[in-house]
Amino acid sequence: MDPEDELRDNESTGDGDFCSDDGIADYDYGDADFAESQEIVSPLKQNYTILSEADIRQRQEEDITQICAILSVSRSAACNLLCHYKWNVSKVQDEWFANEENVCKVVGLLHNPVKTSNSRKLNCGICFENYDRSKMSAASCGHYFCNACWKGYITTSINEGPGCLMLRCPDPSCNAAVDWDMIDRLAGFEEKEKYARHLLRSYVEDSKKIKWCPSPGCEFAVDFDINSISYDVCCYCSHSFCWNCIEEVHRPVECGMVAKWIIKNNAESENTNWILVNSKPCPKCKRPIEKNQGCMHMTCRAPCKFEFCWLCLGAWSEHGAKTGGFYSCNGYETARRDGMYDESEKRRKRAKLSLERYTHYYERWATNESSRKKALEDLHIMQTNKLEKLSLRQGLSEAQLKFIIDAWLQIVECRRVLKWTYAYGYYLPEHEDTKRQFFEYLQGEAEFGLERLHQCAEKELQEFLDADTPMKGFDNFRVKLTRLTSVTHNYFENLVQALERGLMDVDSSDPQSSSKSSSPSSPGDMPGKMKSSKATEADDPS
Amino acid sequence: MANSNLPRRIIKETQRLLSEPAPGISASPSEDNMRYFNVMILGPTQSPYEGGVFKLELFLPEEYPMAAPKVRFLTKIYHPNIDKLGRICLDILKDKWSPALQIRTVLLSIQALLSAPNPDDPLSENIAKHWKTNEAEAVETAKEWTRLYASGA
Repeated sequence: MDPEDELRDNESTGDGDFCSDDGIADYDYGDADFAESQEIVSPLKQNYTILSEADIRQRQEEDITQICAILSVSRSAACNLLCHYKWNVSKVQDEWFANEENVCKVVGLLHNPVKTSNSRKLNCGICFENYDRSKMSAASCGHYFCNACWKGYITTSINEGPGCLMLRCPDPSCNAAVDWDMIDRLAGFEEKEKYARHLLRSYVEDSKKIKWCPSPGCEFAVDFDINSISYDVCCYCSHSFCWNCIEEVHRPVECGMVAKWIIKNNAESENTNWILVNSKPCPKCKRPIEKNQGCMHMTCRAPCKFEFCWLCLGAWSEHGAKTGGFYSCNGYETARRDGMYDESEKRRKRAKLSLERYTHYYERWATNESSRKKALEDLHIMQTNKLEKLSLRQGLSEAQLKFIIDAWLQIVECRRVLKWTYAYGYYLPEHEDTKRQFFEYLQGEAEFGLERLHQCAEKELQEFLDADTPMKGFDNFRVKLTRLTSVTHNYFENLVQALERGLMDVDSSDPQSSSKSSSPSSPGDMPGKMKSSKATEADDPS
Repeated sequence: MANSNLPRRIIKETQRLLSEPAPGISASPSEDNMRYFNVMILGPTQSPYEGGVFKLELFLPEEYPMAAPKVRFLTKIYHPNIDKLGRICLDILKDKWSPALQIRTVLLSIQALLSAPNPDDPLSENIAKHWKTNEAEAVETAKEWTRLYASGA
């Protein structure tokens, strides 16, 4: 039996074990040509661990057990200690062995309870009733309150939030910790659940090296190796983000610039820019057009059918050498010099110019973002539906069609990079002409490649999806798309690397300005990618 | 009526407040709502509020004593930790509240706050600034306000 058939059979019979040797061999077959495109998806070594809730619980459990064993304390006391020292196991030990007495005092683990009268009945300091001692409880301090009041006290605290992990005796002058044992004994079922939840969350939220994935509804956390070369992490939920600033992944742009750009966008984009980015009048018939496809090549509806570039609104047929390449439309400076933006610009105020300049970059940033989102949707549809259809029509296994997925993954990644290069371009000092030219050249090359790839993956593929029978040209299409994927990958690698080097490959005639853009790390301005091991050490918060 | 199922603690506290009032403080529950208290605090001696009689209102919320009582000055007062609506900046009324505290302890703390204003933790920005830049003048204003608004007339 053909290994591909077997793979398909396994899937359809649903016997689950389709990671058999055959499956892997089959996968290899599809993979052979595309070793390069494979590594595009995650070009950097993964130096972080994604933690599920169970993983977090297990680690927390291990830390508690370790502290119990080393300090010979109860589990409850170990919890109190770890909460106090933010789950830093070595810190707990250091402090403990340096000055045990002081640690106990600070954390509220008391050894000598206060003297209470020996009478069987005591007065509760909260409800003022007298109770039999057996109906009352006290923390390690010996301040007795009745169990009902304890329950109320604990419930209130748990419902107020994670502060309950540091709960102290109700006596205003007392510092004794209320520990897990007491919570377990005195709180209701629902509150105990909440307490456990707070405890679990504190393990992540108080830690310096673990953060929750910021994607809405995602319950994974990321444990990050501080010595990593890149902050980029990708959660199991498929959300990629920068571990340092929690914004989406923004390589090659630095966190500081991202923050600045986001603030700027929030301030300026609210009203006009949505309309600007999301709809444009057709340059010929003036009907408003909303962009709903990924690439920039637009075709107006019949009867107009005008083909134009979404970015510059120029006729598509005029795109070519003049705009820096057929698909290229990035040269703001070129266009401005040619007077394409506005003839009377000189007479305008500087403010107007700066808004226009910002708009130019914002528009391209936002367009690439929506294009990226669309590509991500398309990729999803491709994976869940279209690929299977195509596989049936063209008589090829899904593994053999993997090059299409690779192409779409590349498009998504490139749209993201391209997007951020427009923020980069906005902040690139105007007077640094050489750098700007170099930057626009690289960006133009990359953008050109991407538009070609996107068009090929979107429009040319459609023909094969529409066809009812296997089509002859499919092999050529496969070669073309694979080649475009690889070429585009290279263009973007060049772009990313050049930007991360601060465009140092061109010698700036102005030494001051070159040093400015090449030394990005002020302490509050952590680089998106660390430049050297020295920087890594300096950034290590421990 | 809400008063019928008043917790024993509130009844006991009220009885004690009435039978053994703290010096310079009086607190009596409203007739129609046993959780609402009319409070009077005498300005402490050797403070800018000396000679003044300050009216406050105190309310015990449903959650009391798990939640702090709500207290507010009704008499106008010039004090860096009390704003123009009479709201008081005092830790035991907020995060430092403990159910083992009582109406009596709260009122004693407020009385102490009148003796020792804390301009470093201000509620009223302007008054605190005044206090820090020119304490003598601020104290004069506080005395003036005491005469004007808290003379007990």
